[in-house]
Amino acid sequence: MSPRRTETGGRIDRLRTIRFTFDGAPYTGHAGDTLASALLASGVTLFGRSFKYHRPRGLLSAGVEEPNALVTVLRSEVREPNIPATMVEIYDGLVAVSQNRKPSLAWDIGAINQLGGKILSAGFYYKTFMGPVIGPLKGTRFWMFCEHFIRRAAGLGKAGTAHDPARYERMNAFCDVLVVGSGPAGLMAAKAAADQGARVILADLEAHFGGSANWSGETIDGMPAADWAQRVAAQLAGNDNVRLLPRTTVWGYYDGNTLAALERVTDHKEVAAKGEPRQRYWAIRAGTVVLATGSFERPLVFPGNDRPGVMLAHAAERYAVEYGVLPGQRVALFTNNDSAYRSAVALKKAGAAVVAIIDVRGDVSNEMRRLASDAEAELLAGHAVVATEGGKALTGLKVQRFDAMSGSLSGDERSIHADSLLMSGGWSPTIHLASQAGAKAEWDPARQAFLPPKPTQRWIGAGAFTGSFSTAQAIAEGRAAGLQAAGGTASSGPLPVVEAAPGDPDPAPVFEIRAKGKSFVDFQHDVTAEDVRLAHREGFVSVEHLKRYTTLGMATDQGKNSNVPGLAIMAEALGKPIPEVGTTRFRPPYTAVSIGSLAAERFGDLKPERLTPMHDWHIANGARMYSAGLWYRPMIYGLPGETVEQAYVREARATRDSAGIVDVSTLGKIAVQGPDAAEFLDRVYTNMFSTLAVGKARYGLMLREDGLAFDDGTTWRLGEQDFLMTTTTANAGKVMQHLEYFLDVIWPELKVTVTSVTDEWAGAAIGGPNARAILASCVTGTAVDNATLPFMGIVHGRIAGVPVMICRLSFSGEMAFEVYSGAGYGTRVWEALIEAGKPFGLVTYGLEALGTMRIEKGHVTGAEIDGRTTARDLHLDWMLSKKKPFIGSAMMDREGLIAPDRLELVGLIALDNRALNGGGHIVEELDEANPHDSLGHITACCYSPALGKYIALALVKGGKARHGTRAFVSDPLRNRFGPVEIVSNHFYDPDGSRMHG
Amino acid sequence: MAEQQLPERQSPLEPEYHPGSHGNFEHGVDVILSETRPGSILQLAAWPGEEKRLIEIIRKVTGLALPDGAGGGVSNGTRAVFGFASGKFTVVDEAEGLAQAFAGSITPAIGTLTDLSHGRTAIRIAGPKAEWVMAKFFAIDFALPAFPLGAGRSTNHHDIFAQIQRSGADQFDIYVFRSFARSFWKALCHASEEVGYEVQ
Amino acid sequence: MLITCPYCGPRDVIEFTYQGDGNRERPQPASQDLDAWNAYVYDRLNPAGDHNEIWQHSGGCRAHLRVVRNTITHEILSTAFARGGHKSADNRAEGRS
Repeated sequence: MSPRRTETGGRIDRLRTIRFTFDGAPYTGHAGDTLASALLASGVTLFGRSFKYHRPRGLLSAGVEEPNALVTVLRSEVREPNIPATMVEIYDGLVAVSQNRKPSLAWDIGAINQLGGKILSAGFYYKTFMGPVIGPLKGTRFWMFCEHFIRRAAGLGKAGTAHDPARYERMNAFCDVLVVGSGPAGLMAAKAAADQGARVILADLEAHFGGSANWSGETIDGMPAADWAQRVAAQLAGNDNVRLLPRTTVWGYYDGNTLAALERVTDHKEVAAKGEPRQRYWAIRAGTVVLATGSFERPLVFPGNDRPGVMLAHAAERYAVEYGVLPGQRVALFTNNDSAYRSAVALKKAGAAVVAIIDVRGDVSNEMRRLASDAEAELLAGHAVVATEGGKALTGLKVQRFDAMSGSLSGDERSIHADSLLMSGGWSPTIHLASQAGAKAEWDPARQAFLPPKPTQRWIGAGAFTGSFSTAQAIAEGRAAGLQAAGGTASSGPLPVVEAAPGDPDPAPVFEIRAKGKSFVDFQHDVTAEDVRLAHREGFVSVEHLKRYTTLGMATDQGKNSNVPGLAIMAEALGKPIPEVGTTRFRPPYTAVSIGSLAAERFGDLKPERLTPMHDWHIANGARMYSAGLWYRPMIYGLPGETVEQAYVREARATRDSAGIVDVSTLGKIAVQGPDAAEFLDRVYTNMFSTLAVGKARYGLMLREDGLAFDDGTTWRLGEQDFLMTTTTANAGKVMQHLEYFLDVIWPELKVTVTSVTDEWAGAAIGGPNARAILASCVTGTAVDNATLPFMGIVHGRIAGVPVMICRLSFSGEMAFEVYSGAGYGTRVWEALIEAGKPFGLVTYGLEALGTMRIEKGHVTGAEIDGRTTARDLHLDWMLSKKKPFIGSAMMDREGLIAPDRLELVGLIALDNRALNGGGHIVEELDEANPHDSLGHITACCYSPALGKYIALALVKGGKARHGTRAFVSDPLRNRFGPVEIVSNHFYDPDGSRMHG
Repeated sequence: MAEQQLPERQSPLEPEYHPGSHGNFEHGVDVILSETRPGSILQLAAWPGEEKRLIEIIRKVTGLALPDGAGGGVSNGTRAVFGFASGKFTVVDEAEGLAQAFAGSITPAIGTLTDLSHGRTAIRIAGPKAEWVMAKFFAIDFALPAFPLGAGRSTNHHDIFAQIQRSGADQFDIYVFRSFARSFWKALCHASEEVGYEVQ
Repeated sequence: MLITCPYCGPRDVIEFTYQGDGNRERPQPASQDLDAWNAYVYDRLNPAGDHNEIWQHSGGCRAHLRVVRNTITHEILSTAFARGGHKSADNRAEGRS
């Protein structure tokens, strides 16, 4: 048995020994221990080095608020830094290391920073790096120079870079009542709500339900409080309406009673089961929330209050009662309130010698005097601690007479020999979630604490959270809250009876003992009382400024301990009462949240893949795939040894020579149906669709409301009231939303249904001089000759026994057809077309060849319809009907949109026969060293097998007027300069004889 | 059109569809995943005021009587129908050709019919942990009182739009866009590993 | 934030797409009043308080909704189909509870 472990007591299993390492040294603990309790039991006093001064630090607390004992937990190559040792449950094989020390915790070279304490005072970063000029390094540049070194010296744990193989998940939950916190108040609330039949979730950040009942030493209904809590928790576990979430921190309270919680599912396990997530992010939508989050004990601010061995009083009580560990053999207590007296008795019972209780109050009640004598402690009323002694562990302390009214010290210092000093500066309700929910906290002068505000969302408070610090009150409030939350009113019999030590919940308003030496307010960020006063002297009067200037409350613990003492010291400096100084609003998260849990199931796989029906065929046939939005499309079907350019040139050339086929299933397809469908399309497109015959398709252009071009595509009239609209792949979703908006909001009188049918159809575009012959050889049930299937005509037939719809239209500029079939038959039809094409040398082609042929034809895509161009800019003004208004028609003729110097679509030919680049600028005069006076830019480029030249589409000022003139491409980023000729965007077959056949 | 036996359709899940038990199944399989491959999936929409007439047509053609209320639905094992939006219904049949059965009766005065038999993929999840696994994907309440038997819901999982019908006390049919189906299926299998799953 | 869709019931805000200020009036399609068009296309109210907004339930039934939202508290005061002739969200909520 270790030196500090008690013989009996606590919830640890003394029969089970757990082996782990800390900073490489082997330790043992028992099942039920935290890393903190196990190390404390092993005699460890030094747990970390402070943020700025590298001061040795021990355990301050036993819970989630721990500012000092932050460790990094390693699992193979993965490291998770900045976890409070108090929240790490030990398991066999746990590897934990301390932080912010070099080379070791005991011998830390950074401790030299303590000597420079004056320099590292409040606002250190701002003062040092905002102004000074040191050689060429000025202001922020100097800061950037220094940052590297400072970040290494000051700071917390190091983040890892190894891939985290753990699984994270998100879970959506709904309940009538969410109870946060499982102390007596939370347990009663959950039970009362569950008894009413409500769906209840009970969440607690600790591994075991019970909260203070686990260590208060009180009696409830005649049994130890811890046993009572286990019994209630077991009853709840047996209830189908109740979900119990231990190890679950509710960290965010959002609008609409939506709460975020993090469940640590396997962090306490040696190995996770198959498929078990490491952590689960719970998004909980609660009817009503019961906040039973308890309270935090506050430290007192006095010189040397950060020395290892100085601990919060209740934390020592927890270690002794819950874990069977004594924080010291000779214990002294320092308090401004009654609660520490119970702690003294508990430690005495557990086997420690309580040498003194130092109380800042002169008048201590008889009840407390009785508790002091039960603890066999000397009571020093009207005294204060003015110094602590020792290095990496406490050896003693000094006290002086203290007047709580004036704050003045008097008389001689007296030394007390002790290895543990337990302090209590009063209690602050844990109001973080209530504050996040949207209301301002209210200062209670009696409790000397901020109490939760009146709810602005549907929550009810209970227990210490409301400032009701006794267990009997917590039980009564908890049950009332649970009943109310569940919509019940009936009182359900007598309340559990509590036997507890007496105590006045109100502390003396003493936060700081002003004496010589560093007195810490924020332990984690090394902010002293003097830093707060310095900030005030330098003119910081707002609490928000104070926080940022001193960094008070800004570390991973977010000021759980330091918030109120810091404000009190600020208020004193300002000569104002605390409520006038105000408090900062708490923001999520309540505790640190892993990024993995936020990414959840998207971790490592950010986007779903959208696959066409022929996807597997493309992969099996050597396609190199390209991701276009969420879609995957073949880029090229490369032959061995081919470059991308060689492949697309071969594919495009073969298509123009004979025939090529491309998967166009990704095109957006929208069914536009109903009696008003034609009228609707007339309003949506710039050109007419009501005049389109059934069985015909037409190319259409849409504008936005502001008159700029939006999207283009062909729309097919399949029936009198039945249209199939196609959109560009990229804009399918946007166009759908656009149509839905106008039908719902602007023209609700139109009887039109729009439905996304993109996925219903597999599409294959087959083009080239032999395309018709190939089709004719495999299509049954229809002819495909010019009379039956003219340009923009539609026929229905079958290929390979399945129904197909064929429309004769062309993007490549060749005689071309789009063959649509049910998506489930896509591969079958595709393979039949490939087979039919074999005698003709049909090639499959990808996006690169598709793009090449469209550039040769001068067709526009999203690169030209870029949200800044008009129909005129793109030479599509022939599509703007003058017979009807359409979306954008009123705005498209505004002055700026018809100005002569707008960028217009042109073609470019590289005169130096070198490749052009998208984004390259066009200039009249080349000035490589000082590029200027851009006329426009390149939107798309390729090698044109049809022309045997490198060509591009570009948007250029003056446009058509420059056809036949020479300019230069200027692309300094890629160092590409050279002469180009500006030509029409219709490079190839401008009169369309090939596609009209 | 002359009736002609159509070949079998290709499933978008094929390369990722592995019948058998997977994940943490040593202590039992808590969900069963399958692709139901219905022959017909239709979307029917009624103009405002014509909903009752459409519901009556659905009853006549399929024999399924839609209950009142938003998202109401019913299934009988071979056919299913549920509301997924105001005046809009998804109708599913094991057999092909349901569109032809409706063709004459849904006149332009009543509404529209859109055939989505190829465009949507139907995935079924069944078993005691079906609600648990579904809750990993969708921010809707799957508890029986909130999501009654037969009812339908429209929702999404990130970019993946889904219509969901409760076809049993612990069974849901999920209709996703065909192009997303494989991605969704992979995610569903991954999320089911924890509870042990069987693909049928 | 939760928005109660008149058809689907209360749903998480992630299922919705904001579609702009609901106070805008679109001029008649044939109108040539550029000022009116300009106001419709570009002018937006931005009140600190109750605001009429259009939201689409894009991740659900896809209906557009008229939503009154308090821009300070995020409280949703009412929701209704933008397309008339259907019952409002309040009716639905009563039916569900």
